[in-house]
Amino acid sequence: CTKDFVELNANPNAVGTLTPEYLFTKAQYDGVANSLLLLLGTMQYTTSFNDVAGFGSKYIASQVNSSSSSFTSAYPGALNELSLIINAVKDDPAQVNLLAEARIWRVYCYSRLTDVYGDIPYAQATLGYTDNQFTPAYDPQQAIYADLLKELDEAAQSLDATKPTFGAADLIYAGNTAQWKKFAYSQMLRLGLRLTKVDLAGAQTWATKALAGGVITADADIAKVTYLATGQIINQNPVAYNLYISDYIAANGSTNQEGGKYQDVFIDYLKQTRDPRLGIVSVVYTGGSPNVTDTTFAKQQGMPANLGAKPANFARLSEPNPKTVLLRNSPVLVFTAAESYFLQTEAALRGWSGGTPATLYASGVGAALRQWSIISPSDGTLPASKISAYVGRNQLVTTGFPQQMQQIYTQFWVSIFPDAQESFASYRRTGYPALTPNNYPGNATGGQFPRRFLYPVSEQNLNPVSYAAAIARQGPDVLLTRVYWDK
Amino acid sequence: SAQWALASKASAPELSYADASPQATPLARTSLKEAVDQLKRQYHIQIAFREGLLNDKFVAEPGESGNSAIGVENNLSQLLRAFNLNFKKITARQYVIYAALGAPLGAPAPGDNVRGRVVFAEDGTGIPGATVILKGGTQVGTSTDADGNFDLKIPAANQEKSITLVVSFVGYTTAELIITDRTALATVKLAKNEQALGEVVVTALGISKQKRSLGYAVTEVKGEDLTQARENNVANALTGKVAGVNVSGLSTGPGGSSRVIIRGNGSLSGTANNQPLYVVNGMPIDNSVPGQAPSANGGGTNVDRGDGIASINPDDIESITVLKGGTAAALYGSRGGNGVILITTKKGRAQKGIGVEYNTSETLESISVLPDFQYEYGQGDGGVKPTTLAAAQATGRRSWGSKIDGSTDYVGVDGLTHPYVAQKDNLKNYYRTGRTATNTVAFSGGTEAISYRFSLADLDSKGILPGSRYNRKTANLNLSGRLNPRLSFEALAQYNIETAHNRPSAGDASANPNWSPYMIANTADVRWLNPGYDANGNETVWNDAGIATNGYFVINKFQEDDRKNRFIGQGSVSYELFPNLVLKGTVSQDHYDYNYANITPTGTLYALTGQYVGIKSDVTELNGLATATYHRQIKDFGFSVLGGVNRRHSELNELDQTGIGFTIPYFYSYNNLASSTTLALSSRQEVNSAFGSADFNYKSWLYLTVAGRNDWYSTLSPANNSQFYPSANASLVLSDVLKLPEAVNLLKLKGAFAQVGQGAPDPYAVNLTYSNVPSSGQPLQNVSSNTPGSGIAGITNANLGPVLSTTTEGGIEGQFLGNRLSFDLTYYNRLTDKDIVNSTISPTSGYNSVYLNAGRVRNRGIEVLVSGTPVKIANFSWNTSYNMAYNDNRVLSLAEGISSINLASTVGNWGNINNIVGESAFEIVGTRILKDAQGNTVFNATSGFPVATGLQSLGKSVAPLTMGFSNDFRYKRFSLNLLLDGKFGNKVFSISEVYETRLGLLKSTLAGRESGLELTGVTQDGGAYNRTVPVSGLRGYYDNYKNYSELFLHDGSFVKLRQVIFSYNLPAFHISKLNLQSATIGFVARNLATLLRHTDFDPEQSFSNGNYQGLESIGLPRTRSYGVNLSVKF
Repeated sequence: CTKDFVELNANPNAVGTLTPEYLFTKAQYDGVANSLLLLLGTMQYTTSFNDVAGFGSKYIASQVNSSSSSFTSAYPGALNELSLIINAVKDDPAQVNLLAEARIWRVYCYSRLTDVYGDIPYAQATLGYTDNQFTPAYDPQQAIYADLLKELDEAAQSLDATKPTFGAADLIYAGNTAQWKKFAYSQMLRLGLRLTKVDLAGAQTWATKALAGGVITADADIAKVTYLATGQIINQNPVAYNLYISDYIAANGSTNQEGGKYQDVFIDYLKQTRDPRLGIVSVVYTGGSPNVTDTTFAKQQGMPANLGAKPANFARLSEPNPKTVLLRNSPVLVFTAAESYFLQTEAALRGWSGGTPATLYASGVGAALRQWSIISPSDGTLPASKISAYVGRNQLVTTGFPQQMQQIYTQFWVSIFPDAQESFASYRRTGYPALTPNNYPGNATGGQFPRRFLYPVSEQNLNPVSYAAAIARQGPDVLLTRVYWDK
Repeated sequence: SAQWALASKASAPELSYADASPQATPLARTSLKEAVDQLKRQYHIQIAFREGLLNDKFVAEPGESGNSAIGVENNLSQLLRAFNLNFKKITARQYVIYAALGAPLGAPAPGDNVRGRVVFAEDGTGIPGATVILKGGTQVGTSTDADGNFDLKIPAANQEKSITLVVSFVGYTTAELIITDRTALATVKLAKNEQALGEVVVTALGISKQKRSLGYAVTEVKGEDLTQARENNVANALTGKVAGVNVSGLSTGPGGSSRVIIRGNGSLSGTANNQPLYVVNGMPIDNSVPGQAPSANGGGTNVDRGDGIASINPDDIESITVLKGGTAAALYGSRGGNGVILITTKKGRAQKGIGVEYNTSETLESISVLPDFQYEYGQGDGGVKPTTLAAAQATGRRSWGSKIDGSTDYVGVDGLTHPYVAQKDNLKNYYRTGRTATNTVAFSGGTEAISYRFSLADLDSKGILPGSRYNRKTANLNLSGRLNPRLSFEALAQYNIETAHNRPSAGDASANPNWSPYMIANTADVRWLNPGYDANGNETVWNDAGIATNGYFVINKFQEDDRKNRFIGQGSVSYELFPNLVLKGTVSQDHYDYNYANITPTGTLYALTGQYVGIKSDVTELNGLATATYHRQIKDFGFSVLGGVNRRHSELNELDQTGIGFTIPYFYSYNNLASSTTLALSSRQEVNSAFGSADFNYKSWLYLTVAGRNDWYSTLSPANNSQFYPSANASLVLSDVLKLPEAVNLLKLKGAFAQVGQGAPDPYAVNLTYSNVPSSGQPLQNVSSNTPGSGIAGITNANLGPVLSTTTEGGIEGQFLGNRLSFDLTYYNRLTDKDIVNSTISPTSGYNSVYLNAGRVRNRGIEVLVSGTPVKIANFSWNTSYNMAYNDNRVLSLAEGISSINLASTVGNWGNINNIVGESAFEIVGTRILKDAQGNTVFNATSGFPVATGLQSLGKSVAPLTMGFSNDFRYKRFSLNLLLDGKFGNKVFSISEVYETRLGLLKSTLAGRESGLELTGVTQDGGAYNRTVPVSGLRGYYDNYKNYSELFLHDGSFVKLRQVIFSYNLPAFHISKLNLQSATIGFVARNLATLLRHTDFDPEQSFSNGNYQGLESIGLPRTRSYGVNLSVKF
């Protein structure tokens, strides 16, 4: 009387074996989508007069738990998917590229997570199914960094152009192993330099190794995830989509559901530096039906972050350009040539490479201006003349390492928009750009800049022992506790 | 003379039950007594008759009586016709046999005789064969004639004295009548006394048994008690009626679900069905909520779509029997562990012509508890009231303004100036009076071969939320027939169409129509928000957060529609293979098709281009049951055995459609979506079973039942999917064994032991699988969710084995003082072991949940029922009944190394539901404000806010103590029923109050409004801490209170006047050709008053019938209802 039970208890809409390619595409989407958009406010690109949506720019105490969302989504999403892929392919030498690319992408996902939260479950994470590990320990960030860098090194070296790849399932490089290698070494450069405050020697070792391995420099090598204009939401640019759907869908400048606008700090800086990117990223609405966008330089104006109610001139304030920043089939740039050049500039300034800082810096600024044409060929492409003029106006100063660092990482801040998560890490390491923290009433930091974000409350409920151990080691679970590399 | 000489115990007519030992009979004939006995067993009925009445009477052919299955009444009349005996039906399963003609007793002599008539109280017709004796031990008596008339000769010795007549009739309560005027015609009414007959109840698999024989607690509720209540969902009508049955009606409007828990939550699983199994005429029905039960943190589609029991028409119900757990329901196997609610529907019977019943009712409902907000400071922020439209819109839901002073420069969200005064009637102005009209017409009749009952019903309800509607149409056909003397059948068909429009959501603010009337600032009139949309049809702004939808926009523009087509069909065939051996086969199917569409319209502020959610599902529950039963009585020893097999197959097929963005604005079609997804969902389960039971009785005072069952579950690991479990129960009728005082009518000891198993609540929980994720580009895949429909990655369990729940129970029952007082006391202990719990785990494991097979939870408690008739005089009676139950629920262990698992959370994780070892299941968990040893508040010196503790257990979400107190008063043709009920010892976490605090509505937010709030306490380092929160910062300060759960936690105990029914039984009358047999008009009120509560809202403000109770979540306000009911029979 049980003979048909096995068949009956098999889900007719699911399969029993996974397809690594399908999971890898999903992991790429999930890894990119899991960015903490509230950091756009923290890094003073955007803000909102609304307390809830304005948390990023105001650090209001009552909203601190909204900063945990990225932690909660990361593990059952990209991290577990990558873990499943790695388990499926790791014992098959023919699938070495699949293994390597999954490892490199996993480093990207983990590094973004640990940079925001500090100590996180790492070695014991995503072992729920295979090892019944339901309460993973949190690893010290120092150990996580060591392993991430080791992973990049091993994975980059294991890539083999003669073996099969993920092919079209790889939205970043369509399986190109040479480009994956550059992406791995570029991440090694990023993570290596992250250690400059706590482990200068280590930083040098890894930066040197990365440069020797070969990093991204050509626009064609930029690591980017591509998207579609329509169809399922998961196939659309998650940054563009989330901004669009949460605030800018009405496209009239006034019915912004969550009260979002560009922050005055960002717009003022672009105006002040006569940055040609201002008209690419920012518009104001001038009324009429349909509402007309205006990218005129002079009309751009950001919103202060210290407002608690909708200002009277709200409708005329700048907001993201629907044709570029909000373009839902634009790629998300995961690692740009500009970032690579700026990091190389610092390495050169530190004497860790033979490159010329001024040249590297100029290459970085130029690449940063060009990258908008990748995001939106029709509305993001700047004429070469404007690019060269801007590069010419913004040459690396020749004196003073701090001044040079300020110049590099202020330009970095502009160039990496809208990847506020990387901007937040860079800011905490270098101290640049020189942003003034927002001392909004009821803020959780006493008017200081946040140094990390909070673990989900659910961890206290579901993983209390590990959570307590992490707090005891790292410091209280508050916004001002500094992560390992920010000490 | 034929004067009767009667024994002195005239008040308790001797009854002889047909299970007395059979007499030896000639082969060709059988005794009438044996034939009646056979009928009793065949139909599981009780037949009473006066001792000796059936003696020396024989029927010709043994095969002709007792073994047919149609119409017990036809059988009886056939049997009795030849002997000039008559019978009467007392209850659905109780009959009495009496002599058809009373003999006139001696020649009447004026002055010496008392003449009169004895009639049935219920319909006024004459009682033939009733006994009338003269009180005083003179052994003078007579019996009534065919029309109920009597004529009693009074002995000369009594001529000058006042006399009292004692009038009795089997099955009826004996009445005494003092005769003051001997020349007047005396009329005596006798009322039914069901207890005197020995109560018969329906038990598992529809088998009727004498209540005295049962070793476990069982309670029956008659259909009329349920219909009078006029609850749309019949399960809610059980509230307060049965000890140990904890009913929570939901405040989700007409067509909503119910939650019934018997003897506590038996499973720790969030998804397990802790509710009882509903069985109609012996076969299970589906009680699922389409889609899923709403959660505490959902958005616009988070609605209660109604459960399965909601579609049963109370007017079709003959009776409901509650089996309280495995001890009573072991034969139902895995599904009986949480108790079984057995519903017996009305049937037709052989009669002349067509019986017609018509019932109509109209009820109105209104909000039961209105909030008690602060009305000292009005709309605004930072102590400033709005004087511009922009400021009004920014502060639409903020009552942080200036002192309410009647000033006239205040501007509302309608852009007009208004006096700055308190608006206390927003709820009354926003909601309407709900109205429900029910009409049922039923036709019944039949011949000796076939009988039928067919009913049509319509329930049409308009909820208190403007625009919300619910309609339920029910057609119910019951056929039973005898194909030949040995072969009979019964068939039931019920067809339902349920439609609903705009069921209200709850949980979060989005699309929640209840949000604006509650949360709007206290000086704003909610009607200023009307109609909620502008000239283009887009939502108008009323507050700073687009997510907090304008309630009028929800009412006027959102579209939520659902339609359920349900068919329940049952057929059974019974065949008597040999005398006393009956084979029976039954198949039943409960199937429904469900269509749901929820449209978030174009122009909704939080979703400007609109959204679509649709569910198309069909659910089938198919059961096949075959049984063989054999009865035998040898001398004093009787036994019956039963064996059977059962197959249950249930299947769900669902398509979930979601989409965003209507391409053509304001045109709401799934085909018009810019982005849409359809996901197929399936759930299939099967349980195969074999079972057997044997009943033994000795001299009808010692009863024993043993049973065993083996289940095979499709949802478990193939290596571990078979399970056997035994049960036994015994009853000892002490009052028949021992010589007890006369005041004791019945004293019974009972005891039971039962094990009941259970499979996994969800299918596909054994093997990890991978599902495609809808994609417009490259194919995407991820781990399948382990709970169909949840969409959340969870870990399966390859070793999943059965749950075992073991119950022991014991008790004592007694009836005293001529059955005027009775009690029933039961103790039980139920232990659920190896419970299968889909536990929430840390997402860092890579998954959100895991199926653990290790939980242990104990429910133990006592149930007390005391009932009696304190007053009973000629025209007036008072019956009262009190029930109380205490259930101690405790989680004994979870999986190894796990001491707490999380099951649900509110928006913002402000309140949680956890299972914690050592606490009760589904405990409310949250934070408190940290205090130091001296009780000082500990402040975070950096942020200036109090420090919150970690998560702590805050209290039980389910009341451990429940009680009900029912009183029936009858005066002549009037009756009044008052039902009070109460629950004690649970907590409620209020999400409304979180917002009402953040928005400055609660009185607790008044501190500091004048000149700032002084804070004193200590810092985390132990130093003194002082600061003053300025008026401008009050909102931010109180906003942060949401991080301290304890502030919104309340004692959920209450006592309510649950039900008042006042009815009048019209005298039977004839209007020309209209032959009206009876008519009753009743006035009914439900939830009339809350006599005790500790909350500012209705403590029963529950929104979901899922396992997560104790979370109030801004749902539709609970209501009281009142109405009128008219019931006539032709």
